[in-house]
Amino acid sequence: MNKLGRGQRDKVQQFMSITGSSEKVAVQALKASDWQFEGAFDIFYSHSHAKSAADTRHLEELYNRYKDPYADMILVDGITLLCNDLQVDPQDIVMLVVSWHMKAATMCEFSKQEFITGLQSLGIDSMDKLKERIPFMRSELKDEQKFREIYNYAFGWAKEKGQKSLALDTAIGMWQLLFAEKQWPLVDHWCQFLQARHNKAISRDTWSQLLEFARIVDPALSNYDPEGAWPYLIDEFVDYLTEHGIIQKGKLNDWSYKL
Amino acid sequence: MSSGQKKRNFQIEAFKHKVVVDPKYAEKTWKVLEHAIHEIYNHNASGLSFEELYRDDHLVMSFDYLITPVGFVFSGRRFCCGSRNAYNMVLHKYGEKLYSGLVSTMTFHLQTMSKSIEAAHGGSFLEELNSKWSDHNKALQMIRDILMYMDRTFIPSTHKTPVHELGLNLWRDNVVHSDKIQTRLLNMILELILRERTGEVINRGLMRNIIKMLMDLGASVYQEDFEKPFLDVSADFYRVESQEFIECSDCGDYLKKAEQRLNEEIERVSHYLDVKSEAKITNVVEKEMIANHMLGLVHMENSGLVKMLLDDKFEDLGRMYNLFRRVPNGLSTIRDVMTSHIRDTGKQLVTDPEKSKNPVEFVECLLEKRDKYDKIISLAFGNDKTFQNALNSSFEYFINLNPRSPEYISLFVDDKLRKGLKGVKEEDIELILDKVMMLFRYLQEKDVFEKYYKQHLAKRLLSGKTVSDDAERSLIVKLKTECGYQFTSKLEGMFTDMKTSQDTMQGFYTTYGAELANGPTLVVQVLTTGSWPTQTSVTCNLPSEMLALCEKFRSYYLGTHTGRRLSWQTNMGTADLRATFGNGQKYELNVSTYQMCVLMLFNGADSLSYREIEQATEIPSSDLKRCLQSLACVKGKNVLRKEPMSKDIAEDDGFSVNDKFTSKLRKVKIGTVVAQKESEPEKQETRQRVEEDRKPQIEAAVVRIMKSRRVLDHNNIIAEVTKQLQSRFLANPGEIKKRIESLIERDFLERDNADRRLYRYLA
Repeated sequence: MNKLGRGQRDKVQQFMSITGSSEKVAVQALKASDWQFEGAFDIFYSHSHAKSAADTRHLEELYNRYKDPYADMILVDGITLLCNDLQVDPQDIVMLVVSWHMKAATMCEFSKQEFITGLQSLGIDSMDKLKERIPFMRSELKDEQKFREIYNYAFGWAKEKGQKSLALDTAIGMWQLLFAEKQWPLVDHWCQFLQARHNKAISRDTWSQLLEFARIVDPALSNYDPEGAWPYLIDEFVDYLTEHGIIQKGKLNDWSYKL
Repeated sequence: MSSGQKKRNFQIEAFKHKVVVDPKYAEKTWKVLEHAIHEIYNHNASGLSFEELYRDDHLVMSFDYLITPVGFVFSGRRFCCGSRNAYNMVLHKYGEKLYSGLVSTMTFHLQTMSKSIEAAHGGSFLEELNSKWSDHNKALQMIRDILMYMDRTFIPSTHKTPVHELGLNLWRDNVVHSDKIQTRLLNMILELILRERTGEVINRGLMRNIIKMLMDLGASVYQEDFEKPFLDVSADFYRVESQEFIECSDCGDYLKKAEQRLNEEIERVSHYLDVKSEAKITNVVEKEMIANHMLGLVHMENSGLVKMLLDDKFEDLGRMYNLFRRVPNGLSTIRDVMTSHIRDTGKQLVTDPEKSKNPVEFVECLLEKRDKYDKIISLAFGNDKTFQNALNSSFEYFINLNPRSPEYISLFVDDKLRKGLKGVKEEDIELILDKVMMLFRYLQEKDVFEKYYKQHLAKRLLSGKTVSDDAERSLIVKLKTECGYQFTSKLEGMFTDMKTSQDTMQGFYTTYGAELANGPTLVVQVLTTGSWPTQTSVTCNLPSEMLALCEKFRSYYLGTHTGRRLSWQTNMGTADLRATFGNGQKYELNVSTYQMCVLMLFNGADSLSYREIEQATEIPSSDLKRCLQSLACVKGKNVLRKEPMSKDIAEDDGFSVNDKFTSKLRKVKIGTVVAQKESEPEKQETRQRVEEDRKPQIEAAVVRIMKSRRVLDHNNIIAEVTKQLQSRFLANPGEIKKRIESLIERDFLERDNADRRLYRYLA
């Protein structure tokens, strides 16, 4: 530790708190990845993959703990239990990340396949290990690229099976959740607008384009391009904002700005 | 010299005698020549003939020896060849002397002439100048002839100025450019021109000679000594004059004056100036009188372009056109003012609520306007294409300002095809239809026109009210030529249905004729759904007599056309009823199907309540109410009596036959199905249907474009789609966007991963 610079020491601390690893392992991983977190995490977790088939048995046991008595899936009760074990609120957004890793098809349920294969790919075979992984998963939301993947995944995950579009209420709930992380100032206005003017389900294109809109266009709409191939709904949203005086001359008059 | 010798060819003989070059002899000979020149100049005034001098062989021959010991034979004289060296020597010794002598002698005479000219008073100055110029020319000619040999030998080899040119140069330097003459000459010329411009008559012949003199002296003399100052002075003159005119004339008068001045200047040039000056002086007039005052003229209150257009002042307009086309931006100025005037008045016309009340009048006003400007452009503007285009674009602009224009144009056509063309000659019908097509071309929402046209045509065909089948077909052909087969295929289907129905009816009565002879006569028109405007089928209980007959027809028809479905459109159709009233009066009533159903009920009952009627006929209430109103509440047509006598139909009202009904006519028409201007809710409905129809068209266009381009960005796709649909309607970019999103939703298209503005076709 004495040979490390202050910045590097900070990184080691961070790494340790996120992964729960020892100092030695942390330094090793960081050194090997040239002091980049991304690479260090990959290295750290891939080592965990060198687990034997013994894990499958663990995972089966784990699955059985949460599995629904009448169906070969983990349903709402099982998930509640799982969250309890993890000491995480079921509404916590990190559960979305977990589902994403597991490639779960629909919210509030995990198939056996999804559960077991998903945990295996993460190199996890116990709740403790999963619990340890939670902080890392939270950090993944901070990564721009990963956030986009998770966000777009959320559409398919949150909608009803067999439906093409996402019900408005669910969409609003998801947006509230996701943009609490991402901090988009216009999210509340967006939701109000939808309830007042649109009142219909949300298409996939609108969902994915909204993230781009939040990313690219600044909250005061100073760089909004009306010819910018934005979905019609978003154009209407911009009109709504100007109509209601929320955006005036490129300034955002937001009286309900959440900090 | 004998004349015979003159005709002989040149002979070359050996030089026979030696050259004798004696300076004293040379001097003597020169003196003779000098004297000759004097004589020429001095005898000029007396008009002596110089043939004698010219023919003086002695003089000529001596001169001959002086210049060239080698005598050239000319006109019968001898040619001798001699030694070149000797020839040159003499040339250089005596030719020089001769030439310089000529110069000094001529100069002396010119200076004398100059003084004489200077001494002239007032008007005779020019005459004197002219006279002396004439003298000099004659003299110069003679001298040149005499010295022709020098001109052809000595002068070219020494590169001196030839005699004639020399004479002109000397005249120029000594007379025209002399201090006392140069300015005076210019001033006199300009003054005369000024006088002529103010209306005086001047001596044009004299002017022509003087000006010609300047021209003869060379282009630079003409330009420097006359043309340039002339143009400057003219510019000043016209600048002042145009300012005066414009303050006291109206536009038309000013243009007349300008045209007059222009013509005067052109005429002046033709009479006494160099033709090359024409373009220059006309430029000056154009600039000062027209270009500088263009905007002032066009916008002149109460007499400018707009007033001329309003009052059809063809002559003034034509004059303006011809004058303005001479100056830069002249025509575009006229065109722009005309365009904005047409747009303004057109906009007023189409947004005037008064005019909108009567669609036929509305369209007639449009046609009138078009005719007016057509006439102006052809009579006054020489059928200028750019003006035609400006007219067209203006019409296109304001016609589309009123969203009901397509409907009104269709109503106009309807009116004409119903009755307006009765008795009109075929060629005139074609004319009217062509004019309608012209207006049609201006419409941006051609699909709205199509919808209304279809509705109106259906009504015309079904009520048998069309005046001329040929006229109908002619218009359809024109629409087809303009818009393509798709536009008119359904319309043509309607005509086919009418014809087929006739054949069907014939077949029906041939088969059942005998059976049905005693019952009511049925005439059925079988309409193919899809070709005709969409109708919702409504309930209606037909009277039993009709029911049986209709069923018989239905089974007959389906017998020959299996697999089809027939539904009776009871909201259309008419019936002729023979009615006998209580007062013994008999009438033939022409009524609608609904009205027939209601009236037939009274064969079985004396009075009926509204509710009973409704129950029996099952006609929808709003239609039933309207129907009862037309039967009971309209003066002259009230075959039914209503209790109470109020105008509105209430659920508790009672109806009975009006036995006191009378009418002047034996045949009474009660229900007519005439194409009316739509009511507000109907209009909304039609518009909605049009919008709905547009959606699949937009989608089809998007798919077509994406299929061929594979990948395209947002702005380009909007532009392409708009262009493709232009001939039918103006596509709304917002609507196009919605269609694109719908296509993305249905996996026809996707957004590109990297560039969100790019769309990709999914096979």
